[in-house]
Amino acid sequence: METTASTPTETGPRDRTRAEAWKRFAIRYGFLIVMAALFAYFSLTEPAFFTPGNLFSMLLGVTVYGILALGVTFPLVADDVPDLSIGGVAALTVMISAYLMIVLETSTIFAIGFCLVMAALIGFINGILVVKVKIPGLLATLGMMFIAQGLQLIPSGGRSVGRGAVLAGGVTAEGRFSEAFLLLGQGRVFGFIPSPVLIMLAIAIVVYLVLSRSRWGRVFYAIGSNAEAARLVGAKVDRFRIMAYVLSGTIAGLGGIVLAARVGRGDVQSGGTLLLDAIGSALIGFAVLGVRRPNPFGTIVGAIFIGMLLNGLTMQGMQYYVQDFIKGIVLVAALAFTFGLSKTKA
Amino acid sequence: MADRQTVVQTTDIGKSFAATRALDGVSLSFYRGEILGLVGANGAGKSTLIKIICGYHTDYEGSIIIGDETVRFASPEDAYRRGIATVHQIINQGVVQSMSVGENLTLGELIARGKGPFYNKAHLKARAQEIQSQLGLDLDLDQPVEDIGQSDRQMIAIARALSTEPKLLILDEPTSSLSEKEAERLFTTLEKLRSTGVSIVYVSHRLHEVKRIADRVAVIRDGKLATVLENPFDVKQIVTAMVGEIPEHEVRERQSTISTRKVRLELRDVVVDPGKPPLSLKLYEGEIVGLTGLIGAGKSELAEVLFGVRPPVSGEILVDGEPYRPRGVYDAIRDGIFLVPEDRANNAVIADFTVRQNITAPFLRDFQRLGIMKVGEEREASRRMIKSMGIKTESEEADMDALSGGNQQKVVVARWLLKNFRLVLLDEPFQGVDIKSRHDIGQYLRDNIGDRTAVVIATDLDEVIEVADRILVMNGGAIVGEQFYATMDREKLLHFISEDNPEPVETT
Repeated sequence: METTASTPTETGPRDRTRAEAWKRFAIRYGFLIVMAALFAYFSLTEPAFFTPGNLFSMLLGVTVYGILALGVTFPLVADDVPDLSIGGVAALTVMISAYLMIVLETSTIFAIGFCLVMAALIGFINGILVVKVKIPGLLATLGMMFIAQGLQLIPSGGRSVGRGAVLAGGVTAEGRFSEAFLLLGQGRVFGFIPSPVLIMLAIAIVVYLVLSRSRWGRVFYAIGSNAEAARLVGAKVDRFRIMAYVLSGTIAGLGGIVLAARVGRGDVQSGGTLLLDAIGSALIGFAVLGVRRPNPFGTIVGAIFIGMLLNGLTMQGMQYYVQDFIKGIVLVAALAFTFGLSKTKA
Repeated sequence: MADRQTVVQTTDIGKSFAATRALDGVSLSFYRGEILGLVGANGAGKSTLIKIICGYHTDYEGSIIIGDETVRFASPEDAYRRGIATVHQIINQGVVQSMSVGENLTLGELIARGKGPFYNKAHLKARAQEIQSQLGLDLDLDQPVEDIGQSDRQMIAIARALSTEPKLLILDEPTSSLSEKEAERLFTTLEKLRSTGVSIVYVSHRLHEVKRIADRVAVIRDGKLATVLENPFDVKQIVTAMVGEIPEHEVRERQSTISTRKVRLELRDVVVDPGKPPLSLKLYEGEIVGLTGLIGAGKSELAEVLFGVRPPVSGEILVDGEPYRPRGVYDAIRDGIFLVPEDRANNAVIADFTVRQNITAPFLRDFQRLGIMKVGEEREASRRMIKSMGIKTESEEADMDALSGGNQQKVVVARWLLKNFRLVLLDEPFQGVDIKSRHDIGQYLRDNIGDRTAVVIATDLDEVIEVADRILVMNGGAIVGEQFYATMDREKLLHFISEDNPEPVETT
């Protein structure tokens, strides 16, 4: 978000102004301060934490749901809807890209292109269902989530796809992911930066520019705040709302491609907790800088925060099964802090 | 009036919002069986005072005394239980749109404590009937509120507030969407209530209404109680207490000068709604036309057709001699035809945006380079508009909801005056706007009209008279009267507005 500087002037009762200023500061920077403090704490207590290797592996763990979270920010902004189909779309992309390259042995470009078009198309259908058929967004995308999750199992007959896998009907998969494709998930730029991290950062920058700095972003936010008013200042509301779902779907597809390249096979289990992690990140983003709205900077910070917390706590001996519980606590605490403090608005 | 009995009293009420001192030392008594007019310019502090009395703001200085007891309300419900009922300005916050008229009228009973989880439908319906007949209403109780008009919604909110037999009834701009007839019905009811001993606070910018109905009028200026006038008072006295002297707009166009100008917009047999009479009309360069008529006369619908919100049923529209067929708002804006919509909260204000973002919203293309917004230029342009329209705000970066209603209205007018237009339609631009601001907006329009055309649409005849060169009256979907300011006959205009079987007239 752009800075909304409302500098209090030095009039009125002093204490009150000072208290207000502190509160404003806390709402604005509280989350980032907590994050920095945690980072410092882990660095001091765990020698293995603050090493390039660990930090990159932490970021690498964030990338797939981080990318999805950036995408879902669009429908959150324009429609107040956390697109529930993104996890399914990513998982479907994993399976389809594997099926295309390993079973059908198509080219890398074709597989990537096909997956992205498919993901965009699913987003477009979401958009049409919400905007034209007027199904509430949560329901439409929930339905689409089922469709995508179901669809991913069909081509391979419910089995994971890897080189040498025997598919339904006794066919053995002879192909493999190409080197170029695998680079998207396993490559290291300059020998040490994992390529998915760069892809995530690139998407983050683009989404930030579009949503927080551009004319189109302004329109997305206007529609999210008051669609009728946006229409009456000339915004093509339906088009933008549909586009929000298309972008969410397409970016989820990109996330799926990165995931497939990282894992190197079409794993039917790969969807996992992607959806909730992505939406959780975007919602934690509401608290970053205290904007109380979905925003790309907050989303990426939220995603990294989850990754850092889990990484640090795991080093301190936290069991894997506590992870979701921790994520939930962080999400609720961050939102309570932001919304609760700013309830009595200055 | 020696036997005045104080129902509610405020002493030294003060409140600050961050660095802004909104109210300061307001001491005011509300008497039994009295209507007190409460007036003040936008942002003077009226709303803040009311929000304190009705329990919305719980953090304030000074005290509220009911009877002999100093009270501090914990919430609006708390105030409500102690006999302070408030009907707020924004009608749709006063009704639940998805529920029926009957359910809305009996909402108070539905949520009352200690009644058990079930309710008796027949009983509630009878009670709803009782409540609405108190106000002389005759609505279909089973109809959903979303299907009835604004004025009926307003009456429901008032009827419900009355149903609790409050000690103090606060009405905030209650007539802003009522026709004169409905307003008159409301006044009669208020007078009846007064005679039963209710103390009524009547907040309005319509000073002739205040003069018509109030026993006393309290004027708030810059957060302080400027004066309390006793009836009889005249409107001029109130205005002077509110904002000081206001000059009249002196120069107006006459018929002879207008008709030599180029035609800006021409309607040829345009049918707005099926079954409505065709409209033919010419608007000229450089004129400000006032379009008045009762609610439902067809004014807003005509504006919507011109702004591309809806297509006409038939007929032809010409702009500067060229056929004009907008397929949407987008086309209208591109062609330089703008509209300030009637419903500010629902159709104009983007609540999450700052003042700056609200002002530049229609013209984002003019503040960008390669798609990226140039915030510096936006700031500069919004500062310019804030200054020239006299918008009261901490800065252009303030949140929209930090502004008073009237100042929000100025913002949504300002956004359309930012860029060059050919025709601007202002639908009820003065709602919730005080007389000084009204004058400011009018003056800005007059000063900047050049060879452009403006149509000011208002139900209140005085509002269009104040700014228009030419006044058109709509009635039953037709243009039934035309008068030029210079040769205007107010009585005749009132007759056009309210006559039952109007005849369409040829216009200039």
